[in-house]
Amino acid sequence: MTGWHLDDDALRRYVDRTDGLADGASVEQHVMSCDACRTRVNGAVQAEAAIDLAAVWSRTRDAVEVPRPSVFERLLRIVGLPPHEARMVAAASAFRGVWLIGACVLLGFATLAAVIGNGRGLWLFLAFAPIVPCLVVGSSYDPRLDPALEPELVTPYPVLLLILLRTIAVLALALPAVVLLGLVIPGLAPFVWLLPAVGFVAVVLAASTWVSPLRAAIATSCVWFLVVWRLATRAGSPETVLQARGQVVFLALAAVCFAVFVVRRRQLRQLRPWR
Amino acid sequence: MSTASMSLRDVGRRYGATRALAGVTLELHAGVTGLLGPNGAGKTTLLRLLATALPPTEGQVRVLGLDPGTPAERTDIRRRLGYLPQEVGFPRGFTAFAFVDYVALLKEWTQPATRHAEVRRVLEVVGLGDLGSKRIRAMSGGQRRRVALAQALLGSPPVLILDEPTTGVDPEQRVTLRTVLAELARTSIVVLSTHQTEDVAALCERVVVLDRGQVRYDGSVTELVGRAAGRVWLADEPDPAATVSWRTGTGRYRNVAMQARADVDHVEPSLEDAYLLLRGGAAESGSTVEASL
Repeated sequence: MTGWHLDDDALRRYVDRTDGLADGASVEQHVMSCDACRTRVNGAVQAEAAIDLAAVWSRTRDAVEVPRPSVFERLLRIVGLPPHEARMVAAASAFRGVWLIGACVLLGFATLAAVIGNGRGLWLFLAFAPIVPCLVVGSSYDPRLDPALEPELVTPYPVLLLILLRTIAVLALALPAVVLLGLVIPGLAPFVWLLPAVGFVAVVLAASTWVSPLRAAIATSCVWFLVVWRLATRAGSPETVLQARGQVVFLALAAVCFAVFVVRRRQLRQLRPWR
Repeated sequence: MSTASMSLRDVGRRYGATRALAGVTLELHAGVTGLLGPNGAGKTTLLRLLATALPPTEGQVRVLGLDPGTPAERTDIRRRLGYLPQEVGFPRGFTAFAFVDYVALLKEWTQPATRHAEVRRVLEVVGLGDLGSKRIRAMSGGQRRRVALAQALLGSPPVLILDEPTTGVDPEQRVTLRTVLAELARTSIVVLSTHQTEDVAALCERVVVLDRGQVRYDGSVTELVGRAAGRVWLADEPDPAATVSWRTGTGRYRNVAMQARADVDHVEPSLEDAYLLLRGGAAESGSTVEASL
């Protein structure tokens, strides 16, 4: 038994094996003759072993229980979304089924357009391509497709942020897909669908403050089909819609509708927020 | 008013022309309060009002001293709230762990290590510790209900609103859940709606009976049961004087009547007897039942 004892730092370095050879030998010599310090070293070593065991067990359970991120979720992380926000966006059921269906429908019409040729095929593509993103956005908030809505609603996570995240995710994925598909359609610039698609998504968001998002998306699609049908029977060429003047109209539509959505966000129908 | 409480003052809620709640005034403190009432009595509407899922059309609601009508205060309430809705849909393909983890994210548990530990804790609490990686779709109804309950228990919230938490749950698990809720109710306000009077009798010190959107009874369980003393008896035949009468497993009839009887084989009344008596009185005399008992 000696008159001095290991201080906490020396003990920690000894247990962690981060002390030097001489210091380690000195501590070891002391511990052999000091009951109090030996007890402290034992306690520290056991605590460390217990912590390590807990950490290993936790990592093991994580490996088994924590679901692997889906392809869509990994894609969202790649484009810069933090992991927890990527998970929240990817959790919407709409991104699992409806997105796939939407992409297939679009691909089908693109193929059809290419097969039919430059006339009616283009009108078909023009009718369907811009509404796919708005239908996916609309179905992102439908309780039949996202049945976890009620628990989502009463959490502190801002509903508006959730809506915008999902909408941006839809646009980020849908628009490049539409552009890529547009590349295979002869006779039109691949980006001409961009502004109509953005405009319709904004219409759905704004209309969601009066009616359910899915109804808004369906109504918007019907109106668009009607417009395309009227133009097809009168003008005879899709170029009419896609001229610069038409694009400005879609841009203005997007701006106005988004402003309406922001102003009326507390009246969102499907998410039933506090009025 | 104590800040650790919830209060409703003359609260009403309409859905178009339908009045779901009218003139409800309640003060709720730590402990378990049971909500009883027939279908369509307004129980779910009341719980949704308390859970900030729905605004009242009349009156004033305060949760933990905060006004849910103010966005910042509403968010603050939601940070301290656990809510189990009557029906919970689960995103397709989710495991129990993934679903509770998703709700934990929405509840601002952003650190993966602490979040995963909390998700495991609540799954253990509801008896699903070993089923975290099982797909919810492959689970039984009772197990799904427990997954939904687990998300409400995240963070041991000071306010817990539960709409029929034990529906489909087996008796053994119900006893376990009662223990969990009783423990939580030492410091938290727990409000649960149920059709299971035995859950209320075993768990709640206070019971609120709703009927047609109005409070018919608000008081202790023992007091309500005590009101049925002398009004419940067994007989070989259904008694015409009884308000309610049914054949028991022994073959004798259990009779519950508004008027006390002296010359019959009395039995200890249960909460169910007292509730039926209250309901029977409501059917006969509208809102004057409480006074008549």
